[in-house]
Amino acid sequence: MDGTTHPAGTAAAFERPAPDAVGEVVAGLRRRFGERASINAGVREQHGHGEGLADAALPDVVVYPHTDEEVAAVVRLCNAARVPVIAFGIGTSLEGHVAALYGGVCLDLSQMNRVLEVNADDLDCRVQAGVTREQLNAELKGTGLFFPIDPGANATIGGMTATRASGTNAVRYGTMRENVLGLTVVTAAGRIVRTGGRARKSSAGYDLTRLFVGQEGTLGIVTEIQLRLYGVPEAISAAVGQFDDLRSAVQTVIVAMQHGIPVARIELLDALQMKACIAYSKLDGFDAKPTLFFEFHGTQAGVKEQSSLMEAIAADHGGHPFRFATAAEDRSRLWKARHNAWYAALALRPGAMGFSTDACVPISRLADCVLETHEDVERTGLVCPIVGHVGDGNFHLLVLFDPADADERARAEALAQRVSLRAIRMGGTCTGEHGVGVHKLDALVAEHGDEAVDLMRTIKQALDPNGILNPGKTVPARRRE
Amino acid sequence: MHEAVIQGWQARVREAAAAKTPLAIRGGGTKAFYGEAEQGEPFDTRAYAGIVDYEPTELVVTARAGTLLADVERTLREAGQMLAFEPPHFAPGGTLGGTIATGLSGPRRPYAGAVRDHVLGVKVVDGRGELLTFGGRVMKNVAGFDVARLMTGALGTLGIVAEASLKCVPQPRAQATRVFELSADEGIRRANEWGGKPLPLSATCQCDGRLYVRLSGAAPAVEAAAAKFGGAEVPDGEALWTAVRDHAHPFFAAARDGAPLWRLSVRSTAPHTDLGAEQLIEWGGALRWLVAPRAEASKLRAWAAAHGGHATLFAARDRSPGVFHPLPPALAGLHARLKAEFDPHGILNPGRMAAGGA
Repeated sequence: MDGTTHPAGTAAAFERPAPDAVGEVVAGLRRRFGERASINAGVREQHGHGEGLADAALPDVVVYPHTDEEVAAVVRLCNAARVPVIAFGIGTSLEGHVAALYGGVCLDLSQMNRVLEVNADDLDCRVQAGVTREQLNAELKGTGLFFPIDPGANATIGGMTATRASGTNAVRYGTMRENVLGLTVVTAAGRIVRTGGRARKSSAGYDLTRLFVGQEGTLGIVTEIQLRLYGVPEAISAAVGQFDDLRSAVQTVIVAMQHGIPVARIELLDALQMKACIAYSKLDGFDAKPTLFFEFHGTQAGVKEQSSLMEAIAADHGGHPFRFATAAEDRSRLWKARHNAWYAALALRPGAMGFSTDACVPISRLADCVLETHEDVERTGLVCPIVGHVGDGNFHLLVLFDPADADERARAEALAQRVSLRAIRMGGTCTGEHGVGVHKLDALVAEHGDEAVDLMRTIKQALDPNGILNPGKTVPARRRE
Repeated sequence: MHEAVIQGWQARVREAAAAKTPLAIRGGGTKAFYGEAEQGEPFDTRAYAGIVDYEPTELVVTARAGTLLADVERTLREAGQMLAFEPPHFAPGGTLGGTIATGLSGPRRPYAGAVRDHVLGVKVVDGRGELLTFGGRVMKNVAGFDVARLMTGALGTLGIVAEASLKCVPQPRAQATRVFELSADEGIRRANEWGGKPLPLSATCQCDGRLYVRLSGAAPAVEAAAAKFGGAEVPDGEALWTAVRDHAHPFFAAARDGAPLWRLSVRSTAPHTDLGAEQLIEWGGALRWLVAPRAEASKLRAWAAAHGGHATLFAARDRSPGVFHPLPPALAGLHARLKAEFDPHGILNPGRMAAGGA
């Protein structure tokens, strides 16, 4: 049986580098980058966490490179000294992706923020990793094109690539997975490689682009991204439909998907979340009931047809008449209420902290999964509204807890764990869009099994033999005994 | 029974690994012409067949690798659905496993996505004989590395695909094909212009001074677009697209007789260039077919690279110039390392994907 099993237990967990090694790297970076290498405590603190729960772990130094070559130089230095290097965009990740668990160098890519090319005829563009999605769309104004992926936060394109982000537009436009055409990546050895390209059928050989999309900075540092763009739709309209029960709302969406209605966005809010949004965003004329927010993109005629077909399907499932918004201000007011769902939820319990689960299940199981989760929440006594990207079966339970109450926090975390396992049991995943980071390492094993995770670990070892790239994330360092 | 088949696969791979015997993984053999020549003992996947799970409301089908592609498509059709990437058949008998391993998509690809965009999850047997699961059957999954997509198009060199879950889509309610008398230059320009608009475009084909365009979607949208486009109606449009997809179109006659067929994948707006032979142009300009002698390899590869892409010797009696566009050394190194992890003994379809030493 020699060689027929994975070298599972052999992968040692990363160990914090010796202070001397770190000191030398920091000194080297300060020499080369001057003020662009900061050891200021405040700067390091700001780079030690994302927007998830407080799992701050500070890097030893924060560097602001301007070019691919500078990134490569930093990585080479770190690789030689076995010092961790953690790519950082704007810090909106949710699963502890950017925490410097073993210290090391934070590579802040926010100053690599140029849109390098926009090819209107080819419907693509090339950007540096630090360009944010709002910046890109602002720079695309006037070209008739836009970049649709919208995870809510104004994340960087590099960060969205590294976490394979999606968001409210995924049903129609896909996720980062489908919209990244090619990448420039700095490998652990500090080499600059290009994957994919302008051609639709990208690159000869293995689809390395897809491997680097969603690798959370553990296999390479993404510095440039070739992205697919879309024509700005001729017409956009929004609608809101309310239902007496959650199952009817979900069934409406399932039937709509069967009809192939190309809805741009469909978002579900449960009754509690709707109650929170009505209060927070001062929405008039709505009830605290399960609610669907829709957005339709297309030609004038197409949008009208889509929305009336959708309303008819909703009516068949006991839905109340839709409220429509076609004027830009009205649309943006409605969608702002959806985007502010998080703040609205926090306002349900002033002083509470919160975090979000990220289960995704086959859509036929979505209602079951949400309703089972409701019952589970009720047993815990916690306050947890739900929003869902219902078209693709992904929903977020916003778990609120009192940070001063250790017992409550433990119950909140246990609840989140059960949501992940419930989704896996129903044929789904623990993470539809937020990623693994540090929080979902156990759930990853529950979902894929030890053998598959072993192979992921060997991929990590093959591409990053010294384990310097964002250590402690995405794949557990060793099998659990 | 199915479990026994997989256990048999695993045992055979372990034996082959121990003896360093290469395995030539094969389904129906309908795409055996694609890629570098097969080497090793034949490993037939067809005994592991059948649809495991298909719930039309979920828009997902899960099937074993040996299932005939035609059977998968018929099952979907009966429920009003289809595979959006329109996989080519070339000949009867192709399997789902081969469809994923070759990663080839048909005319609808630029408008609906490629094979890899529809692969939600796979089960594979790796080069150590381990049965591994990656991804699943949900629309979005960011748990770990995207190995399912890495397997797609890897020609069986990283693992033997045993089972796959694919996203399906509803069939379009209406379809129409229009034809225009246009030069290749003008055809490419129009196809790109229309491709950027919210029009229900689902395929283009430029050949013999004509541009063929397929529209698919809701009936009013298809009718409105057909009226806007003008051109003439092609009565039996589907037959044309099937012929283009499967290379049964007269353009491919010489290639079917063994002449070298090149597939140039470039940015869609690359200008039409005389490369010494007639071209058939699909994917809104992004895919260009031509029959050209093997001696033209470096010229074609240079032209494709200059236009953001690459040239593949798609089919030829003699594949000696190398099927795949050579990779830059840094990428070739990454390929080799991945191959070594998935298949440490180098037994899975060795050499089939020679680019990058895999």
